[in-house]
Amino acid sequence: MASGLPKRIIKETQRLMAEPVPGISAKPDESNARYFHVVVAGPESSPFEGGVFKLELFLPEEYPMSAPKVRFMTKIYHPNIDKLGRICLDILKDKWSPALQIRTVLLSIQALLSAPNPDDPLANDVAELWKVNEPEAIRIAREWTRTYAMGN
Amino acid sequence: MSDDDMGGSGDEDYYNDYYSDGHDPDVETLDKTLQDPEYFEFQCLTDTEVERFINERVEELSTSIQVTPSLAKVLLLMCQWNLSEIVSSYRADAHRLLIQCQVKPSMPANNNNTSMVSANLVSATNTSNRSTTNTPFPSNVGLMSSTSMEKAGDCVTLCSSSSKSECSSRDVVCGSNAIIQQESDVKECCCPVCLCAMKPSESSQLSCCHRFCNSCWSTYFDVEITQGITTRIECMSSHCEVLAPEDFVVPLLPRTRVREKYHQFAFADYVRSHPELRFCPGPNCTIVVRAKDNKPKRVICEACNTQFCFACGCDYHLPTSCETIRRWLTKCADDSETANYISAHTKDCPKCHICIEKNGGCNHMQCYNCKHEFCWMCLGCWRSHGSEYYECSRYKENPNIAHESVHAQAREALKKYLHYYERWENHSKSLKLECQTLNAIRTRIHAKVMAGTGTWIDWQYLLDAATLLARCRYTLQNTYPFAYFLAPGPRKDLFEYQQAQLEAEIENLSWKIERAEMTDRGDLENQMDIVEKRRTTLLTDFQP
Ligand SMILES: [Zn+2]
Ligand SMILES: [Zn+2]
Ligand SMILES: [Zn+2]
Ligand SMILES: [Zn+2]
Ligand SMILES: [Zn+2]
Ligand SMILES: [Zn+2]
Repeated sequence: MASGLPKRIIKETQRLMAEPVPGISAKPDESNARYFHVVVAGPESSPFEGGVFKLELFLPEEYPMSAPKVRFMTKIYHPNIDKLGRICLDILKDKWSPALQIRTVLLSIQALLSAPNPDDPLANDVAELWKVNEPEAIRIAREWTRTYAMGN
Repeated sequence: MSDDDMGGSGDEDYYNDYYSDGHDPDVETLDKTLQDPEYFEFQCLTDTEVERFINERVEELSTSIQVTPSLAKVLLLMCQWNLSEIVSSYRADAHRLLIQCQVKPSMPANNNNTSMVSANLVSATNTSNRSTTNTPFPSNVGLMSSTSMEKAGDCVTLCSSSSKSECSSRDVVCGSNAIIQQESDVKECCCPVCLCAMKPSESSQLSCCHRFCNSCWSTYFDVEITQGITTRIECMSSHCEVLAPEDFVVPLLPRTRVREKYHQFAFADYVRSHPELRFCPGPNCTIVVRAKDNKPKRVICEACNTQFCFACGCDYHLPTSCETIRRWLTKCADDSETANYISAHTKDCPKCHICIEKNGGCNHMQCYNCKHEFCWMCLGCWRSHGSEYYECSRYKENPNIAHESVHAQAREALKKYLHYYERWENHSKSLKLECQTLNAIRTRIHAKVMAGTGTWIDWQYLLDAATLLARCRYTLQNTYPFAYFLAPGPRKDLFEYQQAQLEAEIENLSWKIERAEMTDRGDLENQMDIVEKRRTTLLTDFQP
């Protein structure tokens, strides 16, 4: 199965399985070693606390020369994540470096959940509310977490 | 307008005294500019000539501050080819300049996010075998001195000596929020990208000491070059901005095709970053225009005849500035829906209401039914229109607009924009119709000559007039974006007055050309003089 899979991906996968990042699970798909099923637990004392968020992560042919493709599958109310689950994160775009790894990407996403950044928005309406009325935005984010990210 | 006072006699004396020989090229250029506001000195260069021009600058910098040509290229590119400034800041503080130009890292490598922390740790404890210890960047950055070469070698040996010790690698995460997590990652000294063990001889690093295997560098360069990135390739390490110069990149490119691509894209980068050079925007044209002044003046490509603005490379647009024409064109694109309704080619005669189609460039219309003469733009009677003050081109702003409702203000803003847009659009259409007119004139001349009314040379003046008309209409078209963005005040009043004068004379010329006979030659040539004078006056008074 792993024929033609770069050593780097094999090593990264092995390490992700052996020493998982706390609060994150990433498992390669049985039929495609470049496709990962990711589950991120909502960080403590964030509006996403208690939620379980599913993501998909795909390593393109050019990886690590180009960034992994990551997307939220679970609906989330967040200024840097849009309706389609796309994530606005610099290291997934122009600030990608081949020296970064899957692990670092997942850590950044976890950090983004702890500290949303409405000044660099992807979902404009969410960011707008986050800036003018943060308590209300946090209330909605909690509600979405309860509705979409719990009990599954 | 401030250019006006340069023509004063006092200033001329000053120049003549100052440049006693009276042949200073700058003064000559100034004189020519005063005579013809569109005068501009430029050269059309072939790619071999541009290459020579670029290489000469590189050579010059390379010898004057003793750096490799490859490093000289980085410095020139990062400093917009300002050679004298580079030399002086290099002499004042070379270290600072090299950091500014992303040749050296802004922070010492061991404070940076690095995957080769061990190499730096070892180097800190192992200072006994280092010749110089005062530099925190033990690497060759293209400086031509023996000590820096030693330092480069130093770095390599340190790296190999650490290859058996345990490497600690750092994961640095910088999303919207930067967190740093340090972990013991890789158990042997290996390339942080492919995670394979690497020999010092098969790996490379820039001045930041981020070492990667050559095979990873090659793949990385391949990906970057395919995306058109050449002179701005940064180190592979996360958030490290050190640039990979040509002599680092090219030897690591295994395929000739990629190497050719690198040189081709890098060449384009050098041209684009040079304030004296501009690619001809003509289709498939490889000419590069060179001019000493980076001004929004008209250049005409010798090879393909394309006319364009030297400063921005777009269609020539004087008297409007590059910045204003860009705003205007963006606005037109945004508002194209709203403005669409006015693009119709037909209007009703204001007197007998018969439908009239515009089929020539002239805005002075005559109804074929009732013979009423009127203006296509404002539908006003031509007789009163053409007299003392040509009001058609001017937009009269509502003086009480500040007290009106938001809706009324929005309506007023749209009305104002449409006023200018209609006229801009109309002159651009007239210009296209003028091409048809030119063909019609050719046919007419042919018929006249064949019928024995004059010779070819007798009729030549009519073609000259049509060419002049096209040039004047082009300038007139470009006065509308300028007027639209001009703040109300005496300057705007003066501009719109001159614009109105120009417009009136252009329409007179257009009318005369469409109806010219051989006997009208003197009259027409007189009109040509008047129009061209109005045009140059406006361009001189309102230089951007
Ligand atoms: Zn490697
Ligand atoms: Zn680096
Ligand atoms: Zn050309
Ligand atoms: Zn321009
Ligand atoms: Zn009529
Ligand atoms: Zn009119």
